[in-house]
Amino acid sequence: MLNLRGIEKAYPLAGGTLPVLKGIDLTIQQGEMVAIMGSSGSGKSTLLNVLGLLDGFDSGGYDLDGVDMSGLSEKQAARYRSQFPGFVFQSFKLIAFKKGGENEALPLFYQKVPRRERQKRAMEMLGKMGMDDRADHLPSELSGGQKQRVAIARALITEPRVILADEPTGALDSSTSHEVMSVLREVNGSGITVIIVTHEADIAAKCDRTIRLHDGVIIEDGRSGEVVEPTANGAGSTD
Amino acid sequence: MFNRETWIEIAHTVTANPLRTALTGLSVGLGIFILVVMQGLGFGLQNGVEQDFADEAKNTIWVRTGTTTLAYRGRQPNRYIELRDEDEERVTEQVVETPAVSGRLSMWGSTVQYKNELGNYPLMGVEPDFAELDLIPLEGGRWLHQDDVEKESKVCVIGENVINELFKQRSPIGEYIILRGITFRVVGHFAKNGRWGNSMVYIPMTTMQRLFQGNDAIGSMVLSTGDRDLEGSTAMVDAIDGDLRLRHAVHPEDQRAVRVRDNQEEYAMFDRIFKGIRLFIWVIGGFTLLAGAIGVANIMAIVVKERTVEIGVRKALGATSGSILSLIVIEAVCLTLISGALGLIAGVATLNYAAPYAQHDYFTNPEVNLRVTVTALLVLVLAGALSGLVPALRAVRIRPIEALRYE
Repeated sequence: MLNLRGIEKAYPLAGGTLPVLKGIDLTIQQGEMVAIMGSSGSGKSTLLNVLGLLDGFDSGGYDLDGVDMSGLSEKQAARYRSQFPGFVFQSFKLIAFKKGGENEALPLFYQKVPRRERQKRAMEMLGKMGMDDRADHLPSELSGGQKQRVAIARALITEPRVILADEPTGALDSSTSHEVMSVLREVNGSGITVIIVTHEADIAAKCDRTIRLHDGVIIEDGRSGEVVEPTANGAGSTD
Repeated sequence: MFNRETWIEIAHTVTANPLRTALTGLSVGLGIFILVVMQGLGFGLQNGVEQDFADEAKNTIWVRTGTTTLAYRGRQPNRYIELRDEDEERVTEQVVETPAVSGRLSMWGSTVQYKNELGNYPLMGVEPDFAELDLIPLEGGRWLHQDDVEKESKVCVIGENVINELFKQRSPIGEYIILRGITFRVVGHFAKNGRWGNSMVYIPMTTMQRLFQGNDAIGSMVLSTGDRDLEGSTAMVDAIDGDLRLRHAVHPEDQRAVRVRDNQEEYAMFDRIFKGIRLFIWVIGGFTLLAGAIGVANIMAIVVKERTVEIGVRKALGATSGSILSLIVIEAVCLTLISGALGLIAGVATLNYAAPYAQHDYFTNPEVNLRVTVTALLVLVLAGALSGLVPALRAVRIRPIEALRYE
């Protein structure tokens, strides 16, 4: 489903460039639940952004369901972002002046789904999240866990093929983290691919597969229980 | 682009920070308001002067005299120069050619009586051409004839105020009134704007001279310049002025003793002044609009900067650059259009409310040129669109991930 071949990416710096991804080869199949781990600066968030077409890459190839994603125009990339992935961010990224239901339904607005249909689907999705009584609440009136549930509902509302979650539990306490991971696990159970960037070993342990990055290179890729614990310099930090 | 969803999005964003929206709108609305009011004042001034000119034909020359202020050719100052019949005859027969001329001899505060009704009105002796020279609109009966002048007839033509006050709306034609103790027959009446127009009682010049003046003085004189252009009328003024000064031994620099005023030249002068005022209003208005547009641009730049993360989120959720661009530009246009329209309405309302209290001889009907103001509003909307476009273009050029990371 997702196939990266020799992906390389560097950020321009004053007087040179900073290589972040150095020839990433990776294939993720439909229905997998994958954790991407690594120390700070290892390139794990950049990898997620490349997968979600939020960021480009300098060289290599990226196929999505057999379609080449390199050289997409801004408009084509926007269309793919609208249809293919759902994003979940560490700091939720809800629009402050929109109510929970409106935030959740925003991706459908960009798919030109009629308003009534949007509202109906938003309420259904919030109901599945146990959040249907929070549809009319502003983000400022929600707890961290509730905000993340709204964010997950927003990611799911377009019925995406893959959920890309960047530190989805990073801003939550352990109990709420557990709830959020249960939700993501349920989502994966329905056949949707879930890719989570995390630095927490117990979060990665809840996934089927763990990929460890170091200095822009995949150093381990295997079943979650088989991948070794992160080293001290990789723990407790993000990209 | 202009669907209901876009408007809801815009309503969300403009109401998300009501104080900022209100202050931005105020700067734009105030700009249009100031432009409208200034235009109104300019037009009011222009209307006032034009109305004043409308009381008399533009192609006329008015000759007035006074007391000399300078000694000349052995004559001391403080000598009163009096125009007489022979001056009029000489000017019109030997100095200039004119299609119409009239003397104009006034007596202010003359008692007029009709039956038991009494009033005080200005009385003026004129010649038949005066109706054409002073644009007197006859409402009924007839104007003074040459025959009335030759026979020194005791006939008169009265203004609307005299009819209202003495005749109480009855027709005055054929009725007799007593002017300064002498009975006159009313042969015509008129309605005229202006300060004194409607209160005037006109009688033949010769009757005035014989009954009330006792000599052939004509007070002042008014002549038509016909179809001469400004250059031709100026030459006519110079000829009349030179002849009268020569004949009455008036110093060439004496401004008070002989005064020859060219209406056409004065009108041209006022026209130049009002062109200047209009230009001034546009310059001030232009700067006011520019200030409003800069205000909108400034606010839009701040708004876009503040919403960078939101723009990143929207892009991550599938928004295209075009949808982000249109959202910001339409928001800027709406802000300028609505606040500009409110400023326009407030300006028009202020002028309408103030107009009845601001009537003056040289200031009337401070109207708004709607076409010009709407054009200004459209210019402002265009400025709003451009001022929204610049930060919007900057915003959509940011990659989604950069916008998401922006804090």
